[in-house]
Amino acid sequence: MDATSSINDIIVGYAKEKGFHQQTLERWLNLAEADREAILGLAQGLKPSENHLRDFLDWLDEISLRDGLSPRDVLSSEPLVRIFSDPRLSRSDKLKRIKEEVRRLRFPRLSRIEDAIQQTVRDMGLSSRIQVIIPPGLEGGTVTVQLKSASYEELKRLVVELGRASETDRARRLFELLRGDG
Amino acid sequence: MTPILARVETRMANELQEVVVEAGSEHSPIFRNLKRALPHVPFTVVEDPKASWASLAGAHDPMGSGKKRLFLVRHRGEFLKKCPGSEGQVCCNYFVVNFASNCPMECSYCYLQEYLANNPALKVFSNMGDLMAEADRLFSRQRRFFFRIGTGEITDSLALDPYTGFCAEVIPFFAAQPNALLELKTKTDRVEGLLGLSPKGRVVVSWSMNPPRVIDDEEHLTASFERRLAAARRCQEAGYRLGFHFDPMIEYPGWEADYREAVERIFATIDHRRVAWVSLGVLRSTPGLKRIMRQRFPSTRLLAGEHVSCADGKMRYFQPLRVSMYRKMLIWIRAAAPAVFVYLCMESKEVWQQVFGFAPSCEKELGNQMLARE
Ligand code: SF4
Repeated sequence: MDATSSINDIIVGYAKEKGFHQQTLERWLNLAEADREAILGLAQGLKPSENHLRDFLDWLDEISLRDGLSPRDVLSSEPLVRIFSDPRLSRSDKLKRIKEEVRRLRFPRLSRIEDAIQQTVRDMGLSSRIQVIIPPGLEGGTVTVQLKSASYEELKRLVVELGRASETDRARRLFELLRGDG
Repeated sequence: MTPILARVETRMANELQEVVVEAGSEHSPIFRNLKRALPHVPFTVVEDPKASWASLAGAHDPMGSGKKRLFLVRHRGEFLKKCPGSEGQVCCNYFVVNFASNCPMECSYCYLQEYLANNPALKVFSNMGDLMAEADRLFSRQRRFFFRIGTGEITDSLALDPYTGFCAEVIPFFAAQPNALLELKTKTDRVEGLLGLSPKGRVVVSWSMNPPRVIDDEEHLTASFERRLAAARRCQEAGYRLGFHFDPMIEYPGWEADYREAVERIFATIDHRRVAWVSLGVLRSTPGLKRIMRQRFPSTRLLAGEHVSCADGKMRYFQPLRVSMYRKMLIWIRAAAPAVFVYLCMESKEVWQQVFGFAPSCEKELGNQMLARE
């Protein structure tokens, strides 16, 4: 048995064991050998669900189309290797962080705006009882502000705090970023 | 599946292998026109064409194979339908008339690849008389309503016209209507059949436009930018009003210079006072369409745009990005053609608001605004 067929056998066995769809398996097997192997390392190490694996396959493929970086190049990049081998992180934390990193590479400008918005919200210094929720993918252009209050007095205090925060340049900046004026 | 791009250059759009005619359709004007225009193509008359097009399902590339055989069949059911638009998006109150299904060209992003996946046969309907009778009934029943009708929803309006002579059949009918406007939407330069007809202000010929780079990379077998523009000019000289659709707009490094130049070239060639409308819309896809594009056009870079899922289930460039694209286009269009009517295709009220500073309150308002430019 040559190395390629043994890797393919492992991939087929893994996909069968996890009950992955044929389409997902075929996409995986259609990758170049080094990429196939890199995805296998990711799958064995992080045990992603099929949906997560499909996201990885999509994003890595699309990064490669745009930036010319192969899936293996991406998965063996320094920040990802660091997360992968961090003994302090649980497997699900690693999966979450690695997925965030790959998403960041796949959607660099969207991520930059999301980061700037999150930073602006943090800079507003609101208490933890006031949450500013950003729409997924920034779609819709509206933020949801949520106040949690256990008493009338607390509610009044939060409304005043929010009112003050909304008068600042930071609040204005938040909406500029959402509109794409950043 | 073998990537289609390997083969597409060697396949001519009009390299039809066969015309399959449903028995009874041999007496239609469209049959007569096809016979005259395609003397080298074999014609087969069959009782039940469904059996032939069902066989496409088993083809290696059903969509690609579907484009090589033309079916001339009777259309059963209604020809005219309200444009479905997209859920939650501002709609322009448009009707579509389907005189054909599928298209001989090969745009990598074409939504028909998914929409017609189970029915990819290239069909032209033979019963044009029924189409016009149905339209006539609708227009006469609602004389106070002005109908905007398009033919390019599930086909290109002009790609098959040199063979079918569809326009010569229907333009005189539309030219005589007091309350309807026909839009013919195309990516071709096949306007010969239009030039000798008198549209009487009732026909808009519109082009889907993109910079030459996008046309070369993604709109396979379509006419080049120059040829589309030259055809538009000929139509304008022949008395037609024009429309331009920058749809789908594609974002890539350098898109600004390319689109700006495209806008400037159009309005340097065309009299903007005779332009009925310009629409803007960014690339839209769905997870299913992306899957098909990955198989049929694996090297297209369109798959790599920063698209997110929107409320209507379609994927578009994330909102701040597309809003900024629309705003830039609007500035370039306004600079070149200040009075031209510009609208957004399949966008939400929030996006309209951010681009124009207002959003039409309802579909009727947008439709009326377009017609007010008559
Ligand atoms: S011209 Fe239109 S209908 Fe034809 S392939 Fe392109 S997008 Fe599809």
